[in-house]
Amino acid sequence: MHPILRRRGRLGPYLAAWIPVAGLLSILLALAGEADWDEVLLIAVPMTVLFGFESLATWYLCLAAPLRTTAMRRLLAVHGSGAAVSCILWLLAGRAWVSLLERSSWFEGATRRYAAQVPLLFAVGVLLFLLASAVHYVLIAFEESREAERRALETEVLAREAELKALKGQINPHFLFNSLNSIAALAGSEPGAARAMCVDLADLFRKILKLGSAEKIPLSQELALADSLLAVEKVRFGERLAVVRRLDEGCADCLVPPLLLQPLVENAVTHGIAHLVEGGAVTIETRRRDGRLQIVIENPVDPDRAGGGHEGVGLDNVRRRLAAIYGAEGRLAARREGGIFRVEVALPVSGGPA
Amino acid sequence: MSSTARRLRVIVVDDEAPARALLREYLGRRAGVEIAAECANGFEAVKAVTELHPDMLLLDIQMPKLDGFEVLELIEKEIPVIFITAYEEHALRAFEVHAVDYLLKPFTEQRLGEALERAAGRVGAAKKGSVPLEDLAMAARPEGAGRYLERVLVRDGSAVHVIPTARIDYIEAQDDYICVKAEGKGRIKKQTLARLEGALDPARFVRIHRGYILNVERLANIELYAKDSRVAILTDGTRLPVSRAGHARLKELLS
Repeated sequence: MHPILRRRGRLGPYLAAWIPVAGLLSILLALAGEADWDEVLLIAVPMTVLFGFESLATWYLCLAAPLRTTAMRRLLAVHGSGAAVSCILWLLAGRAWVSLLERSSWFEGATRRYAAQVPLLFAVGVLLFLLASAVHYVLIAFEESREAERRALETEVLAREAELKALKGQINPHFLFNSLNSIAALAGSEPGAARAMCVDLADLFRKILKLGSAEKIPLSQELALADSLLAVEKVRFGERLAVVRRLDEGCADCLVPPLLLQPLVENAVTHGIAHLVEGGAVTIETRRRDGRLQIVIENPVDPDRAGGGHEGVGLDNVRRRLAAIYGAEGRLAARREGGIFRVEVALPVSGGPA
Repeated sequence: MSSTARRLRVIVVDDEAPARALLREYLGRRAGVEIAAECANGFEAVKAVTELHPDMLLLDIQMPKLDGFEVLELIEKEIPVIFITAYEEHALRAFEVHAVDYLLKPFTEQRLGEALERAAGRVGAAKKGSVPLEDLAMAARPEGAGRYLERVLVRDGSAVHVIPTARIDYIEAQDDYICVKAEGKGRIKKQTLARLEGALDPARFVRIHRGYILNVERLANIELYAKDSRVAILTDGTRLPVSRAGHARLKELLS
């Protein structure tokens, strides 16, 4: 539907815009013919209103023949024939109106006078029609650019949302709040330690932000990120949190998806160590075997707690990511054995020495 | 009456040492407040409250073994509580158990001061509207649909027994108390059978009799004892009466 007809309240101002045209047309007819002003106005005003409606139709011609993709010849043909057809219809309507007027004795001979003006009216009609087409092209270009702008904005918002979501998925808010609380605590008694923890926290977030956008990173970097996380947790849990690393030297350069270990390590602390009065050790083990990289993370769990002590969501996310990147080659297995929760990740080796 | 106002004795419960240090620092600057004990987990908290009778509790929620709500359930007496946690989502439950206040970590010294003043107003106030223990037990259940009690907590003096529901054989009503039988031991708790029944997983626990809830995994056999009267025989040989309605419920679950 035409944008002017689409909304109530647009039609009035639109027709008002035609008033000067009606004035001009009246002057033209009065100067060129013998009709007096009454007759000229009675013909020019209704015919201008009618033309106003007719020229709305150029919108559809403009849509059917977009300026950018239509050849000049075709453009001329479309709008030329459009102008001719609509002007002929317009003049016929005008004629019908005039013959109606002639029924009154006031306008005797009006039909004859009208017939004499037809060539002028036709010329004016064609010109106005082409002008209307031009205006519509401008209107369409304007709408298109606005739409393009809106779409660009939308894409940007979506991209930002995805980024935020990724960040939110990576940073557990409770982790952040508890860490800030630890900083607040240390600020009073051990300002140096508070500062060190701020640096640790900044270090961790910077790594998450930087590595999160990479496609793959060396395992050594992923392990460094896990160390940053554990450094922050160590302040909160103190003696309760120990870390054991059994890292195979040959794995350091293997490429892994970023932030793969971080949720697993965080799980090990929040669902494992945090529930143990005496705490325990998070074990991180890496090794290469038969062209595959194996990463094992273990933590003790409270035997009295049901389930694996691990929420499934974090593990599922990692599992889904592995499947998306490596298909059947990427695997995550999690199980609880006695008082130990063990997550094993296996993926094909890429990068580093073969 | 001494010339100075009585000092407010509080117990601080948080499993993280820095969090306790912060409270110690803030409270240390307040006149009229004395830290009666610092506890690093729920067991210590229950023991300390039982032995020291503090005026107020500053209680973390996420802790090993017993969470803050479970601690409250076990204390079994009204005491003003200020919850201090990084978790916003427990606020509703906190007010269900009539917490005086709910501080989100990190918090300012001023905010703690406001909470303490509010709590001081409640200390020594008439013991009206004390929270029914039953409500506490219900509030201590994890949130969310389809989640049932995972363990039953029983206090014995200042000691706490945690009984995972999977280890329960059956529960017997004894007047206002219940006796939870697990691994050959029976532990008494002040609660009604009906209340506990509502909190247990109905796919596992069945009220087989007015006085008994049975863990169906312990059921070995059902014998007809007399007309309309049956006994359930458990895997360890224990015999429990089964009412007609109880038998219908059992049949429905096992079919």
